[in-house]
Amino acid sequence: MKTSESALSANSELMAHFVNRSDRVLILHLQRLSTEDGPGIRTTIFFKGCPLKCEWCHNPESISPKPQVHWLETRCIGCSLCIDVCPSGALKKTDDTLIRDRSLCTSCGKCTLECPSGAQEMLGHETTLEELMAELMKDRIYYDKSGGGVTLSGGEPLLQPLLSASLLKALKDKGIHTAIDTCGMCSPSALERVLPYTDMVLYDIKEIDPERHRQFTGQSNHLILQNLSLVRDYMQTHPDKVLWIRTPLIPGATANHGTIVKIGQYIQDTLGKTCQRWELCAFNNLCRDKYRRLGLAWKYSSTQLISKQELASLENIARNSGPDPSIIFATGATRVES
Amino acid sequence: MTTQSASPRYAIKQPHNLSPRIQMLRDYYFQGMDRKWNNEFVGFTTGTPWDIQYQEGNFYIVPETYTFFSTFTGAFQQTSHKVALPEGFWEWSLSERHAWFTREVMVYYLPHEVLPGDLIAGGRFNIQTSKCLTKQQYKAYARQAYGKTGMRQAELWFHNHGYGNAGATSGHIIPDYPRVLNEGWKGIHEELNRYLFKLSKREYEGKKGGQLRAMLVAATMARDVAFEYSKVCSELAEKESDPARQNELTAMADMLRRIPWEPATSFWEALQSLWLTHMLVMSDENYPGPGVSFGRADQYLYPFWKKSIDEGMDRDFGKELLKCFWIHCNYAYDAMIRTNGNQGITAGYGQLITLAGMGKGGVDMSNDLTYAMLEVIDELTPLLEPKPNVRLFRNSPDRLLDRVVDMIASSQGSPFLLNFDERSIAGLLREARMAGVEDKINADNVFDYAPVGCLENTMCGNDRSGTVDINLNLLKAVELAMTGGYDLLPWKDPMSGKVEPVKRWGKDTGDAAKFKTWDEFWNAYIIQTKGIIRRAADLYDWTDRVRATFFRNPYLSCLVRGCGEKAMDINEGGAELNFVTLEAVTFATTVDSLLAIKYLVFDKKECSMAELIQALKDNWEGHEVLQARAINKAPKYGRDDDQADEMGRKVMEVWSEETWKYSTSMTKKQYRPGMLSWNYWVGDGYVMAASADGRPRGKFLSNAICPCAGADINGPTANVNSVGKVMGGKDISGRGDWESYLSMLPNGASHTITFSPSLIRDPEHKAKFKAFLRSYAENGGSALQINMVDADMLRDAQNNPNAYRHLLVRVTGYNAYFTSIGRELQNEIIARESHRI
Repeated sequence: MKTSESALSANSELMAHFVNRSDRVLILHLQRLSTEDGPGIRTTIFFKGCPLKCEWCHNPESISPKPQVHWLETRCIGCSLCIDVCPSGALKKTDDTLIRDRSLCTSCGKCTLECPSGAQEMLGHETTLEELMAELMKDRIYYDKSGGGVTLSGGEPLLQPLLSASLLKALKDKGIHTAIDTCGMCSPSALERVLPYTDMVLYDIKEIDPERHRQFTGQSNHLILQNLSLVRDYMQTHPDKVLWIRTPLIPGATANHGTIVKIGQYIQDTLGKTCQRWELCAFNNLCRDKYRRLGLAWKYSSTQLISKQELASLENIARNSGPDPSIIFATGATRVES
Repeated sequence: MTTQSASPRYAIKQPHNLSPRIQMLRDYYFQGMDRKWNNEFVGFTTGTPWDIQYQEGNFYIVPETYTFFSTFTGAFQQTSHKVALPEGFWEWSLSERHAWFTREVMVYYLPHEVLPGDLIAGGRFNIQTSKCLTKQQYKAYARQAYGKTGMRQAELWFHNHGYGNAGATSGHIIPDYPRVLNEGWKGIHEELNRYLFKLSKREYEGKKGGQLRAMLVAATMARDVAFEYSKVCSELAEKESDPARQNELTAMADMLRRIPWEPATSFWEALQSLWLTHMLVMSDENYPGPGVSFGRADQYLYPFWKKSIDEGMDRDFGKELLKCFWIHCNYAYDAMIRTNGNQGITAGYGQLITLAGMGKGGVDMSNDLTYAMLEVIDELTPLLEPKPNVRLFRNSPDRLLDRVVDMIASSQGSPFLLNFDERSIAGLLREARMAGVEDKINADNVFDYAPVGCLENTMCGNDRSGTVDINLNLLKAVELAMTGGYDLLPWKDPMSGKVEPVKRWGKDTGDAAKFKTWDEFWNAYIIQTKGIIRRAADLYDWTDRVRATFFRNPYLSCLVRGCGEKAMDINEGGAELNFVTLEAVTFATTVDSLLAIKYLVFDKKECSMAELIQALKDNWEGHEVLQARAINKAPKYGRDDDQADEMGRKVMEVWSEETWKYSTSMTKKQYRPGMLSWNYWVGDGYVMAASADGRPRGKFLSNAICPCAGADINGPTANVNSVGKVMGGKDISGRGDWESYLSMLPNGASHTITFSPSLIRDPEHKAKFKAFLRSYAENGGSALQINMVDADMLRDAQNNPNAYRHLLVRVTGYNAYFTSIGRELQNEIIARESHRI
């Protein structure tokens, strides 16, 4: 347990922010008619806050555990009300755009309330178990007809384990299928808390080599792999539960022969038949403007999507790396060939 | 230098599996104006100087045609062929004259031709016939229709002032075709004779006798037309050198001497009989396919299909017959081929054909013919007519849903409309209760309903529900409630520039600027809603009286149960089920406007009522912040927000309850509520003033029951849930109109949702989509049109981001709204979409 504790200490500030909260959670939004996060038709809850900082992250707005404000320029009507209302003087209009001084902005949200067009948007809002359940139950019939349910994703839902656990329990009490989509970087006790109420775990393995993992995500994967074994052990005593592994295919990082083969071998050796599906998720660049709006630089801003042939080739490598080829699925957009 | 591109920019679904015969017939059809043969309108006259052919009342519900009424009327008067009249013609009743005239034209004047290889006879049917009015009748009609105080002017006024339109029109009915197949026209003829003999001497010499004699003449039209085609087939057979084709022509000549007078004995005969009988309805009404629909054809044709298959008919030959039939239906579009260019296929006719659905006791009724017809639709694609409606319900088999989803996945948009039985049946059972016709519509027969026109539910063979006869903009009541009964903007004549003097046209509901509470405004809205329904009903009643007095359709009357028994023309209200549908338009714009008024003026006090009214008068110019708040901050219908949807439900309740209070004065048609909107929501967007939901004048209104464009930001499931709720939702105690289902709209409501093709990209996602459709049956409305996002739409979204705020780009581990992505990346997505197969 020593290693896991030391790994967690790097995130102590982050953990302190959440770990003891049981009444409210910070989420980005609910995605209804979600068809990409587990079986059937689902509602996916995107939690805000993540212990990893994957350099390719597709949802950069989900990393910070605090609410953030961004400005959607296509919605802006140029009324300047946000500038007038900002108590910190963080907003400034130039000839052709609006500038937010992030060193001054406290994400108080006053501009988002005042903005008439929804151009100033708050990313992240606090909500309660009751509010969440009321929304989630609205699509119950779709879950029932499709074998779907609810997926907790993010961000990292296990950074807010108390409410996640009570939410999953409340859903199970209603007979709704539950899934968590996790990066695995969490305290083992958080996992232990949610697993009894979780029908399915979507677990990321991004890299086997701990140093490369640290290089890409800011953290060693030691705790992640250790937690994965915990999940495996739990699954083996609960055969009705399901484990899917997900691997992002990132050009220049994970989308290479060595990484895929190692992950494949690891799945085969460590998980065996406990892993029922391995999804290879192709790199996506659609988040470029999200980085820009959050005032963040992005290493991959000019990286192209992988080609159709590359995706097929990586899928083929995966199919020959150990796990049963029928559990391997490659998904995501590929480069447009002209 | 130009290079040949390897593949088309857009992958348009291509026809496939067509025999050389069908390929030829299909290609020939699509030659359009270049064809030697066509089915363009031909006019026929009695030769009297006052004769008219074009019946403008049919088009009072088509505002685009208002400016052409005089032109069309005059054009047919000039070009019509004179028909030699028999002695005593003018002493006959109007119905007899019409019946005789139409039969004379169809049997002896209009040429009869069979295209090479065609297996179904019955080519030309688009005619404009004399209305057979005497001079006195014409003068009486003209007094009603024309001039400053005439009906035409009243229609213009109603439309120009933003109320909508209303007029008794043709079609939108399912004739009793199964009867012709099973009993033959001779069965109908015999029954009419029995009714005639039962009349007293006085009745016989009076109106009833005239009507039945007219129907007896009309009941022989199909027989005599078939005989002419039989002669053509015989002549062609004699000249034919190919023995196979010679056999076909001989078989056609033989069957056409017997059917449709005699009952059909094979699938080929049934289809031939159905086509001739159907096309003559369009001849009789002088209007090609305005929703003259086939009903549950896969049910009533199935016994013939099965018999012929059992007797050795090759299934592929059965499909070949169907394909010929399908192509024939499309010749309706030839009617105005010169004004619309090739086929005029932008026009919407709507000879609906209904497939599958619930049977007695909740059993599934899909059969081999259902699937054969779906194959025909798929293989002929894209062909517009007949328009298929696939009925789904909770026991629809997976096989049917798999087929439906596969066809949606491989087409640009769904090649059919989906009807949902549970909600539809609930509406029709409520209609039975409200109108006191439970002997005609009840739990034992309601599952045999079918849609007409687009999606309007009616019963089959006895129901003229006048769907699309009245189209009322609910939004006008919001406008009048804000102004206390005045038009927000005075009407200006676009030709003269003259502004109409200000007058209070609506009810005096007081100065809204002085209202202290939302309830005061809501009450004003209710009063104005009642007022606009009254105005629509008054106008409609006028057109209905004129139609009942001057225009006859004895042939169609033979095919609608009730007309013979009552010895009344269909236009006089002869049908057993005698309704007219008030189709409400602008529903979501109305609900969102009310929500915005409540939010901006009463709840949040963002502005005063006076300021809001001024903003609307200024078309929001100079009030952009308020407009943005109305669009982005006020609640909206379509998000599964219970409070907003409750406003929608209340709006629905108010206008639909009021609608049931009306019936027509002369024809005794009971009013019923529906929600169709056809294309009015587009055109009337330019007529109606700006609305409180933030919409400027010139922007589209909302379409039928759909949420306003861009308002459904919580995605399709939320959209569907909202629609189900405002139609009535469910009664959890099970005391609904049908089981737990409630529906305030017996006619049903048009609902369109656009999906991303990625949602049905592989078998796993198709299974999810199937589940979505099964869920729609539980939570949604009565009918769903499925569209798929295409590159054009994405381009439009780039340029009009506010209308597409809901358009989600979703790939594994990532989600974003399309409109929030930068242009460069948007272009990449568009490029990818353009290459999709």
